Order: sequence, then structure tokens, then C-alpha cells
Amino acid sequence: MNPGSALTAVGADEGTTDRAGGWTAPPALESRRTPVLEVRAVSKQYGSGRNAVRVLEGLDLRVDAGEVVSLVGPSGISKTTLLKTIAGLQAPTEGEVVVTGRPVAGPPREMALVFQDYGRSLMPWLTVAKNVRMPLRHLDLGKDETARRCSEALTAVGLEDADRKYPWQLSGGMQQRVAIARALAYRPEILVMDEPFASVDAQTRFELEDLTLALRRQFDMTILIVTHDIDEAVYLGDRVVVLGGRPASVSRVLTVDLPRDRHQDTTRADERFVALRTEVLHLIQAPGRSSSPAGVQAPGRDA
Amino acid sequence: MRRARTPLLGVAGAVAAVVLWALAARTWGSTALAGPGETLTAMTGLLRHGDFWSAIGTTLLMAGRGLLGAALLGSVAGMLVGSSTLLSNAVLVPLEFLKPIPPIVLLPIAILVLGPTQVMGEALVFYGCLLPILYTTANGVRETDPVAVQTARSFGLGRWQVLLRVTLPSTSASIGTAVRIAVPHAFAIAVLAGYLGGSPGLGREIADSVVSADTARLFGVVVVLALLGLLVHEVSHLAERRVLHWHPTYRVRAA
Amino acid sequence: MTATATATATRRPAPALSPATRWLARVLVPAALVVAWWFGSAGSTSPYYPPLAEIVTRFRELWLFEQVRSDVVPTLVVLFSGLLIGVALGVVGGLGLARMPTVRATVMPLITFYRALPGIALIPVLVQLFGYGDGVRVGMVVLVALPPTLIATMDGVLGLDATLSDVVRAYGLPRSERLLGVYLPVAGPQVFAGVQVSMQFAFIAAIAVEMVGSTRGIGYQTLLAQQTFASADMWAGVLLLGVVGFGSSAVVRLVRNRLLRWYDGAQAVSRAA
Repeated sequence: MNPGSALTAVGADEGTTDRAGGWTAPPALESRRTPVLEVRAVSKQYGSGRNAVRVLEGLDLRVDAGEVVSLVGPSGISKTTLLKTIAGLQAPTEGEVVVTGRPVAGPPREMALVFQDYGRSLMPWLTVAKNVRMPLRHLDLGKDETARRCSEALTAVGLEDADRKYPWQLSGGMQQRVAIARALAYRPEILVMDEPFASVDAQTRFELEDLTLALRRQFDMTILIVTHDIDEAVYLGDRVVVLGGRPASVSRVLTVDLPRDRHQDTTRADERFVALRTEVLHLIQAPGRSSSPAGVQAPGRDA
Repeated sequence: MRRARTPLLGVAGAVAAVVLWALAARTWGSTALAGPGETLTAMTGLLRHGDFWSAIGTTLLMAGRGLLGAALLGSVAGMLVGSSTLLSNAVLVPLEFLKPIPPIVLLPIAILVLGPTQVMGEALVFYGCLLPILYTTANGVRETDPVAVQTARSFGLGRWQVLLRVTLPSTSASIGTAVRIAVPHAFAIAVLAGYLGGSPGLGREIADSVVSADTARLFGVVVVLALLGLLVHEVSHLAERRVLHWHPTYRVRAA
Repeated sequence: MTATATATATRRPAPALSPATRWLARVLVPAALVVAWWFGSAGSTSPYYPPLAEIVTRFRELWLFEQVRSDVVPTLVVLFSGLLIGVALGVVGGLGLARMPTVRATVMPLITFYRALPGIALIPVLVQLFGYGDGVRVGMVVLVALPPTLIATMDGVLGLDATLSDVVRAYGLPRSERLLGVYLPVAGPQVFAGVQVSMQFAFIAAIAVEMVGSTRGIGYQTLLAQQTFASADMWAGVLLLGVVGFGSSAVVRLVRNRLLRWYDGAQAVSRAA
């Protein structure tokens, strides 16, 4: 667990704002730029011999403490495979995944996941409170601490009154909030989200995006979010990693030099936002060219 | 049900079971427990007798005739009940009461009134299969695609025609499934009628084996029953698929 | 079921009956049947169909509450203890089979063979081996109650959603918690479908064993009455058996509805959506 992040609220008035409106972290935070997650030359192949399908090739990725990194790419098997490999649910064929300095051999304790399909990742026979509590039972925290964390997490996502309800009694957006609260209560070093807002309507999506940013500010979280929504990737991320090619690898990594304080109405209309998302769009549509030394890439038939 | 991934393992399991059986027979003594060898001998002996084959035939016939009657009445009644809310409510209480009552409960009455006869067995099979088929058919009717029904109505088809031309074909899958599920029930009831009630057939063969204290023969009949049960199960599955191959449920299932 | 592009409801909304009509249909029809039986059989001298009035009298004399301890209790004890043991073994076995593919592959043909056998045929085998004691009766019920729950549990756990399995692994739950806290609840609806079938089989087996080799129990008394031509007693016994069958089914249903409230609720929500 990252001791420094234990619920210290990071206010927007810390740090400095430059002329362009960009926010720079105060020096104390800058020095914490250690990688929480490193993906080193990961390749993944399914099957063997003639039937082998190589899905990932020489993928490098890095998420530093306190960052939000968006991972975006065309729909297909590569994003899911990469996510499962990062989450330790699958082993890479080559390369390794390192979380807080330790290679991943199975689902790492420092990581919490939020899945796209909340309907299938929440347990319908448990109340909201019990769902949030479930992963905590094995951290041996004691009843009081567990209860405190749960109510804190639920309050942070705005569901403090729903603790006795069942997930299926809530709307899709609220269910996803429960899933987020579950990950929050776990206090991971890094939160990994797999297309978390793809299954809700557009309105709710905006709310949940802003919730994610608010939580990140409040709890100084490190987040890796996988999405196929380009606008979302740019809106949420400090950096955008674009996947491409077949087999997939990193096409480009873009730094989102927008102010950290983002708003659905103004930010999305900002020139720089538009320029960034256009660039991402072109990267995805054009045949991928990897920035990692993996040799010749087959042109991708990206959607 | 998932098929066993490695057929070899299954074979190994079966062989192990037979070996255990043989060991148990040796420990227990052959008056109580017949071993695989003796059972096999008894079985082949039985199958050489025309009488035994006639007993098999009788059991199958009882099951078949009772089931046929239940299928006919059950599907017709089920369609009527399913399409009329009034009827549904009217028969609800009697049927709900009868549903958990298996034929064995009525066995004493059946023996009293019909005697230890083939007809008694058929009557019990009929009763035992009627309600499930009725229920499943009624549910199938209620689940007919409302759009199809409305389309037919808009073409001017009357109530009975809609029932016949739209509801019936659509419900036929439910009826088919219900009948297929009822087949092992029919078989089991026919055997029960024989064993406890004295009706002719394999059930009576079991009772006779017990009376004559011929353990090997008893085991032989039991094994034949199991094999017959498997056969009947497979055949009914095949038949259902053949007859109803055109129905969307089957196309979807194959995908 | 065919997917319709339009309405999500696949059930035809039933034309509404007024509550009064519905009540009338549900209550009046059974009442009318009973009345018809009462008066129809009133003067009967048939040895097979005694007057309902006489049946009711004998029912009261025999079963309320004269023979409860000597016959009803033994039947119920055999029935429910056999059911509980059979279901418990079935659930544990089903969990095990679902999680251990090698064992499953080895044992499945045997289970298929066992299921194909009409349960009735096991009675004489058991009796040959173990005689006629109480334990044999319970054992018989266990043997028929086991397979439906076993298969249903196994299927339910095998059908576990991949997402849930990922969640469980990602959050590092220990094995016991995984099995009992996640896999079993998720399979709950299917397990109970199996338990309901187990109940039906157990009931049949409990009566059958009494009819074969017992000196007490409702089934035994009823068959005895038939053999001694005490028609009214026999009918009374049949009625009681019907009540027990209905009651035990209802008990299982009640337990299921209580434990699976979450499932029924979730289903209702998704149907309305």
C-alpha cells in the first residue's frame, strides 16, 4: 500500500499554475515519480506452431505514481489480452510485468480492477456494502477499519445511502460506482479500469468520468484506464498510450498538456483537446508503426 | 452436461468400478451380492428367453401407450389452458395440488380398481406424464411471440385459426421437450407398476427374482433396465432433434 | 426462444381478469369439485369408491392424531433425513466434480449409467445387501436424492461466468472463500432446481421402501388397507400421502424462495427492463 496516499486530499490550490493554465505538481509530489507499473517488452501468443496467433509484440508501457494513463486502441483482442496480462490473470509469452518493483506472477495485491461489465463483476447475492467489503476480508484489517474504509469508499462515490441495497436494484451507473468503490476500499497502488464506462449511457459516462478525476484528486490515485473512446482517453489522461498494429504494440505515447482541472463543457471544446484527439484518431486509423524496437510491423487493418 | 474430455479416463473409471464390484461380491458372498461375471451370465441367460423379451416389450408398450395418451391430452389441454386466462385460474388450484403427487401415491387405488394388469400400468404412466406435459405446453403457449400472433390477427385469422397456425407450431418445441423429458418417467413408472403393483413386464421380473432369491438374476434384470434406460434416453433425444429440427430453438442451440 | 427486435417481453400479457373473477375461478372450481365428489359418492356401495363422508371420517380417526407417531413420523423422518443427506452430498460432490476435471471425466460415465436406472430397481438390491432396517430406508432415499442435486450443482458451477472468475482471482480470494462464498451462491438457482427434483424423487422412494419392506409408515398402512379391502382407509391414506407430498414440496419451495430472494429480485428487474 502506498503510505503517502492514505487519504490525503490533494487540493487544487497546491502546486503552481503556469500561463497556459497547466498545473504542475508541487516539488514534493514530483519526486514521487516512480513507476508503479512497468510493462517490459511483453509479447503474447495464443496457440503454437502453425496455429499460433501473435497478439501482442514487444509492448512497453509505464505508469508513474499519481498519473492517469489512458490506453486506447482499436476494438479487438489486443486490449483485453494486454489488460489480462497486466492484471496477472494471464502470463505473457515473453517479457514481464512489474508492479511496484516486483514482477507479477499472479494477480498482484497492489492492483485493483474495475471491469466493463458491472452486471457480471458484482455479486448479486450480496448487498452493496458486502460487495465493497468482500476483497477486504483477506487483508486482515479488523472489523472497524474494514467498516470505516467501506463507508468512506461508498461516500466518496456518492452511494452512502445505498449500502443495504442489492446491485441489481441500482442503475447501471450506480452499479459501476459500486465497483469503483470496491476498488477504492481496497486502497490499491494502482487502479486498472477496463473500458469501465462503455456499458453506460453517454450522460452517465460523463458523470463517471468526472467522478474518476475527482477521486484521483481526493486520494492521489494512480490509474490505468483502457478505453476505445478517444475523447475519454484524452479527457481523463495525463498521457495517452496508443496501441496499434497487428500484432499490437505501442504506436505512440502522447502527453496531454491540458490543465489538470478538466470540465466536460470547456475542456472538450478546447483547441488543444481537439488537436490531441484528432492526432489519436489518425494514429488509430493509420497503419500502426511501433515506437519500440520490435522489427517490421504488419500494417494493421484498424477499424 | 459437459462431455467427458478424455474418453480414456471414463473407460478407466468404468473398469475400476467393475473391479470394485467384483471385489465386493467376493467379500460379501454371492447370496447377497452377485458379481459382474455371474450377472453377465444371468443376463445372457435371460436374453435367450423369449419370455424376457416379451417382458421388455410389455414394459415399453405400457410406457409408450400411457405416454401417448398423456401427450395427446396434455398438449391439447395445455394449449387450451395456456390461451385462456380464465381456464388457467380455474384449474390452478387442483393442478397445483396434484403436481407434487407422484403416481405411487395412487398405486393402491389403481391396484384396487384395475388389478395387477397392463392397463393399470398404462393408467399410472398416463397420470404421471400428463401434468408435466400440460404445464410445459401451457407455458409454451404463453411464451408465443406476441408479434407473430398480432400479425396473424391483423390478417383476419380467427381465434382458433391463430391457435392452430401460429401458436401450435411455436409451442411444438415445448411439447417436444416435455414429451422427451417424460420418456424416462414413463419408463420408470411402468417398472414401478410392475414391481410394486404386479403389472406384467420388467417390474414383475424384478419382483419374481426377489421372490425366488435368485440374486444373479436380479442383478441381471437391473443391468438390463439400466441399459434400456440409456437406450430410451438416447432415442428420445434423437427423435426430438429429428422431428423438431426446423424450430428456431434448435437452430440457435446448434450455433 | 426467438429473439424479437421489438418488445422485450416474450410473454403475452394476459388479458386481465377482474380480481373477483380470478378469485371465483380459483376458489370456486376446487370447491365445486369437492362438493361434487361429496354428493356424487354419498350413497355409494361400491367397494372401490366409498362415500367421501366415510373417507373423511376414517381420515380423522386414523390420522388425526392417532397414528401420527407410529406412522407419520417414521415416514417424515426417513424422507427428510434422506433428502438432507442426499442433497448435502450432492452439493459437495457437484462442487468437487465441477472443479476437478480429471475426476469428472473419470466418473461421468458411471453417473450417467446410474441415472439411467429407474431408482425403484435399487430397492431390491439394497434389501438383498442390507436387509430391511431403518438405515436401509434412509439409504435408499439418499441414493435417489443424490443425482439430481449433484448434476445440477455441477452444471451450475461449470457455467460460472468468466468475468466473475476473473474478479475472484484478481481480488485474491482464498479457495474456501471462492467455493463457498462465490461459486456456490452463483450456482444457487440451479442447485435449487436440482433440490426440487431431489425432493420429488425422495418422496417417491420413501413411500416405495415402505410398501416393499416395512411394518410402519403411511405408505405401508395405505397398501395394507388396499390389500385388506379397507377402501375408506386406503383412500384416507392416499389423501394423507397427497398432503405430505404437497407439504414437503412447499417446504422446499419456501426454503428456496428465502435463500434465493436475491435471484428472484434480479430476475424481476431484468425482465422489467
